[in-house]
Amino acid sequence: MNEIQCKRRTLLAGAAAGLTATLLDSRFAFAADPTGSRDVFVLLSLRGGFDGLSAIVPAADPDYYALRPAIGVPQKQLLAGDGFFGLHPALAPLLPYWQAGTLAAVHAAGQPTPNRSHFAAMEELERAAPGTSIRTGWLDRVLGGFGSPAGFGGVSVGSARPARVLAGGAPHLAVASVDGFKLDGDLDGRPIAATMAKLYQGAPDALATNTGQMLGALGTAKQMQAAGYTPAASYPGTDLGNALKDVARLVKANIGLRTATLDCGDWDMHEDLGAAVSGKRFYDRLNALATALAAFAADLGPDGMRRVTLVTISEFGRRIAQNGSGGFDHGYGNAMLLLGGNVKGGKVYGRWPGLAASQLIDGDLAVTTDYRAVIAEVLRVRCGLADSSAVFPGVTASTLGLVSA
Amino acid sequence: MTAAELLSPDPLLHLLRRATYGPTPAAVAEIRRLGAAAWLDAQLDPSSIGDTVADGLVARFPWCTATIPTIRAAVTSKTLKQYDWTPVWQVSFATFARAVWSKRQLLEVMTEFWSNHFNVTCPFGDVWDSRADYDAAVIRPYALSSFSDLLKASARHPAMLTYLDNRSSTKAAPNENYGRELLELHTVGTPYAESDVLNAARLFTGLTVDDTSGMYQYDPAQHAVGAVSILGFSHPNGSAAGGEQAVLALLDYLALHPATARRIVTKLCVRFVADDPPVGLITSLVKVYLDNRSAIAPVLRALFASPEFAASIGAKTRTPYEDIVATLRTLDYGPEPSGTKAIESLYWTCSNAGQAPLAWAPPNGYPDVAAAWASPAGQLVRWNAHLNVGAGYWPATLVRPASLLAAFAGSPTPATYGALVDAVSDRLLQTTLPSPQREALAGFFGKTTASPVGAKDPAIDWMFPYLMAMLLNSPTFALR
Repeated sequence: MNEIQCKRRTLLAGAAAGLTATLLDSRFAFAADPTGSRDVFVLLSLRGGFDGLSAIVPAADPDYYALRPAIGVPQKQLLAGDGFFGLHPALAPLLPYWQAGTLAAVHAAGQPTPNRSHFAAMEELERAAPGTSIRTGWLDRVLGGFGSPAGFGGVSVGSARPARVLAGGAPHLAVASVDGFKLDGDLDGRPIAATMAKLYQGAPDALATNTGQMLGALGTAKQMQAAGYTPAASYPGTDLGNALKDVARLVKANIGLRTATLDCGDWDMHEDLGAAVSGKRFYDRLNALATALAAFAADLGPDGMRRVTLVTISEFGRRIAQNGSGGFDHGYGNAMLLLGGNVKGGKVYGRWPGLAASQLIDGDLAVTTDYRAVIAEVLRVRCGLADSSAVFPGVTASTLGLVSA
Repeated sequence: MTAAELLSPDPLLHLLRRATYGPTPAAVAEIRRLGAAAWLDAQLDPSSIGDTVADGLVARFPWCTATIPTIRAAVTSKTLKQYDWTPVWQVSFATFARAVWSKRQLLEVMTEFWSNHFNVTCPFGDVWDSRADYDAAVIRPYALSSFSDLLKASARHPAMLTYLDNRSSTKAAPNENYGRELLELHTVGTPYAESDVLNAARLFTGLTVDDTSGMYQYDPAQHAVGAVSILGFSHPNGSAAGGEQAVLALLDYLALHPATARRIVTKLCVRFVADDPPVGLITSLVKVYLDNRSAIAPVLRALFASPEFAASIGAKTRTPYEDIVATLRTLDYGPEPSGTKAIESLYWTCSNAGQAPLAWAPPNGYPDVAAAWASPAGQLVRWNAHLNVGAGYWPATLVRPASLLAAFAGSPTPATYGALVDAVSDRLLQTTLPSPQREALAGFFGKTTASPVGAKDPAIDWMFPYLMAMLLNSPTFALR
């Protein structure tokens, strides 16, 4: 038996032992956080094309209300106005965080070139290496930069389907839910997992390693399930609320989470986006997002928030001018949100390009800040990834001062 | 334990594991009756194989074979909505159903192979009206024909022209997306220069889609004339009217380019032989490919007859999709008597495991090597499916034998736990497991392999599906 086989057998034996230990010692999963003080990077993907111009309103830009006569957000409804920008009223649940300085926005952010196809834009957003033949997802490359941690180092939450942004060589888990991450039928008296660990002893390396990781993750999840989870805040019963609750749970469990990604869709509002009041489409969707994020922040509490930075992205913004159906078609520049204990919040970052006809790109808000530069700044300052050149080739991290060291 | 030692050494079973989506009892019986050569002859001539079960399933997804005019006409007559995703979903579901239940297995495997090579993601809204036709009129008819014909058919199909943006390419602003992927993914691979891409993009201007009909058209008004030089191919490209012919000449040239030959042959070897296939085999198959002017069947015949293929037992690992399909095949469960719910649910199982058929988003197609599929969470989905599908918990509507025990352990019921494990593994995995694995499975029931099976033991009653599932979870089944 060579050295690699030795290690693999140890790993498998460890996985099987972990399963047994589950029943005896719940401290196993709650050992010291191996990630030290580095933040968990949480990526929230707002799929469908988030209308950043409705969420973070450039109220003082003279063209905003001219181009959005019916569905511009009226100035008097805006929250936390800074003389130029104001927040959509549906963001009210997050207002305390904005005011406390743990929520910020970057405006006129986006991809380096416009792409108004959902499919192609999302693909580029998650590959994040235009002009190269790189095919992995950028969050996979981030995990690589973190040293490819196994177990719950990189997790997509909310669906068992693997996340495109995590596609690549680093191990990661796709978890529909923490409580649902279990081996069906594996109950007391039916030791399927332990039996399978034996079946994979001596199996070819790749199969044995993957199985060892799976059984190890199952063991960790089983301990978390046995321990249960009582959040410190009340989450909305939405898919996003449930997924964020699981992210908070993983953060607090100290099981080595370095990055988590989750989705919040249904932003593709070509028609009837609606006025900024409850019962209207965009208001309700944005309010649901804000409610879930506020619960997440409250659940984490100050201690948890100090170890987390959440960033939102979307494949594109929406057109500045409303269409004939009371909605917005696919556009370009957009707003990103940042939430976390070390975010220098309460303000809108980025250079505003203006909405005058000459300042638009094919009728859309221009992009003055590459979304990758924003993420690179967060990764550098908060997540211990000093060099992101392998994550975002050719991109320099922004120095907007979004987060404190 | 090497991978080869975990699988049956029988060359007929090896061929079935590679050239099909996995053995079924009927396929095993057939290849034993016909022998390898006659079996392969039939598979390479799929129309010679009656396929009533799969035909019936395809008929449950009537849009999956619809032409573009048919879909457009349905919109006009208000049978379908504009941009309706029903046809693309039906292509996806039907692909899964055919993989499991079609007897034309090599055709299905090669359809998947070329669908990845010439990827046009499905479902995808922009090809709502053309993706079904792309499957029915491009991939399937040419899957066992010649690479040159397949390349030319794909290049002029609205689905490909849409997916890789050539439909919006103009002489004023050529779009390089198709030109680049044509070289990098469809033909020669990476030994191209940026100037080759620019030249190809210029040459391809004018190949577009008529927005009104949704059909392919060559628009000379948008063709950029002027001499081009691409990887040793040169053409004066002197007239707008002659642009399409110049394109076809380029495609014929590229199809027979030695770098293309090596690339296609290598991918076939990765699909059928090993993740890192022997160089000697590739070299000999390149010659077969070029000697036969890119005809696909002669390459496959030579591949399956090669000593390198024979020596590759256990060298491939099932991808998530192959795992789910092979599970249904070895279980030999029939499709639900009517309707499509079970097929749709199994499609989503593949999706959750990471590999819904045709759904890969980037243009390079799903990866085909084990390293790309090592996923703890994906394996969990697969293992849960083994139990749930095998036991009939979900989907519950597949046609299953009245007695799982009789179907998988035979009758009379084996007398010992060792014999029970062996009988079920022989039926599901076509081999007997190594002793430690047999002992571990007996141990699951609190027994040894020597323990007698009692008439009321849970192992032959409600716990029997656990044995089936654990065998499908085994390293032996993970390999092909």
